Amino acid sequence: MATSTPTGSVLPRDEVLFDRSLRTRWRLGFDRWIGWLLPLLFLVAIVPIVDLVYFVVRAAYPVLSWGNLTNTQPYANQNGNAVGLALIGTFDLMAIATAVAVLLGLFGGIATAEFLSERSAGWVRTSVNMLAGTPSVVVGYFGYFAFVLYFGWGLSLIAGALTLSFFMVPYIFRTVDLAYTSIPRPIREAALGSGARPYQYILKVGTPIAFPQVLTGVFLAMAIGLGETAPIVLTTLPSLLVPSSLNSGVTFLTYLIYDGFNHPSTGPGSNELAKAFEAAFLVMMIVIALNVVVRVFAARYKKRLEGLYQ
Amino acid sequence: MQVLGRIVPWIPALIPAALVAAVIWELLLSSGLSLRFYPWPPVFHPPQSFGWEFFGSRWNPAQNQWGIMVFIVGSFLTAVPALFLSLFIGLGIAIASTAYLPKVMTQFLDPFVDLLAGIPSVVYGIWAFIVVAPYFGHVVNPWVYDHFSVIPGFGGTPPSELGTGLPIGIFVLTIMALPITTLLIRDALQSLPKDLWESGLALGATRWEVMRRVAIPHSTRGILSAALLGFGRAFSETVALAMVLNIQSGYPVNFYHGTATLATWMFTNLDSAYGNSSWLAALSEMALVLLAISLTVNLLGRRLVSSFIAYEIAGL
Repeated sequence: MATSTPTGSVLPRDEVLFDRSLRTRWRLGFDRWIGWLLPLLFLVAIVPIVDLVYFVVRAAYPVLSWGNLTNTQPYANQNGNAVGLALIGTFDLMAIATAVAVLLGLFGGIATAEFLSERSAGWVRTSVNMLAGTPSVVVGYFGYFAFVLYFGWGLSLIAGALTLSFFMVPYIFRTVDLAYTSIPRPIREAALGSGARPYQYILKVGTPIAFPQVLTGVFLAMAIGLGETAPIVLTTLPSLLVPSSLNSGVTFLTYLIYDGFNHPSTGPGSNELAKAFEAAFLVMMIVIALNVVVRVFAARYKKRLEGLYQ
Repeated sequence: MQVLGRIVPWIPALIPAALVAAVIWELLLSSGLSLRFYPWPPVFHPPQSFGWEFFGSRWNPAQNQWGIMVFIVGSFLTAVPALFLSLFIGLGIAIASTAYLPKVMTQFLDPFVDLLAGIPSVVYGIWAFIVVAPYFGHVVNPWVYDHFSVIPGFGGTPPSELGTGLPIGIFVLTIMALPITTLLIRDALQSLPKDLWESGLALGATRWEVMRRVAIPHSTRGILSAALLGFGRAFSETVALAMVLNIQSGYPVNFYHGTATLATWMFTNLDSAYGNSSWLAALSEMALVLLAISLTVNLLGRRLVSSFIAYEIAGL
């Protein structure tokens, strides 16, 4: 084209378009270098997690077998690293704790979302945050003083399960509250406007919408509960039998890990450390699986949920 | 009926508050404070109330001395350096993933940080004890000892080969607080309006300059909340620390020495305390101190949280 770049410019091209001063070169260079260096910090997160997973998988691989997982004898055979007892114990503890936590958290969450004023709900949410922020060892102490000693239940299944539920309540409460609060206002108004009683709205309109998210909260709470160690160590006693009553001893998976660290090799013909690795593998896999489910679900709801629980 | 309808929803809604109150109540009842403030007999009949001696530095059950200052100091000695490390690393990761890396890479890299939050602390503990501690014992601690022993606190008794002690405790806490700080800061940085970001670039600022002068000042609250919540996590961490800290009941003599935090001391001492009511009372009073500090930090941090991401981080 005729009107394109003038060939006989007054100034040299470089000086018009490019500032070559030392300061500018420093600014651009710094930006480029920091762009290369900062991503390296990801290694601080990635190396430990990869190493940890590799370590647990490698350590658990030789002892992980179907026989060991299903064997409920404490010291079954010569190379018996049976964790079946701990799996059953974990199932028992988690089942009771989840049931109690859902019972305590579900209604509270619905009530906070649907019936309380904005101001009151804010206070309730603060109290939920307080419960979530309570250190695990403090709750463990409460469980020990209240359930084990004061109520006289001893180091038992029920004491452990109730203590465990303290950690799960806030997560269930929060997700339930959020699930019901984030239901679009028009839906709510349409239901109430066409004559539904509040409980009818909750049961027939709110619950079907909120249910997947509530389930997410329960999963998250279970992942939290499964990872807890201190309260379980303080309130339960590992047993050599399948728990038969609420007062009997019970073995939790994380307890096995801590025990394997504490007493690496006790018991005839069984290696506690190998059991610990097995338990660590199981706990990690379950928790990661639950977390992945939670994250996949949560990503869908995130947009709807901005701004509560500040 | 109207009144009933207003009261009934409060019953389930107050459950979390009731649980917190129950914890505090029970610990108060079983601590030495009960003798001072309550007219009725406490649970364990502690023989004495500890008074201000309780914040002294001597813990010696045999001589009836119950000072917890050692453990308070130990808690801060581990939690504060860990917090600063994880805050700066988290800031770096957040900046890298917001401003510098292409989206394809952040989608691949970010889940690793999320994954760190999900690992149970006891798994961290056993990994750190078996895999990381020997490395600290043979490589890191001797190197620091050789090169920095001039600095007070870094010389003196040579580090043991086992590798347990303060440095690995700080390391473990850094890794454990990292997801919290990273996710909160990343969220705060990403909440910068796109207009501000683009107008900064259009004015000729580099990405770093927009980050430094616009995005970071804009997200001060988020960074502060990350600091507080990360500190809360590090301060109340129990099992992983108990496994790597080489628990001792005195002040650490130097950087490589073992120590104890409030949480780890409570965790490892309950067995020995059984049947000794003074001991139990002292421990439950320690629990109250730990609870007070971590609740304050947590609530402050949550007040500042700029967005909703906190709910998604496991363990927060």
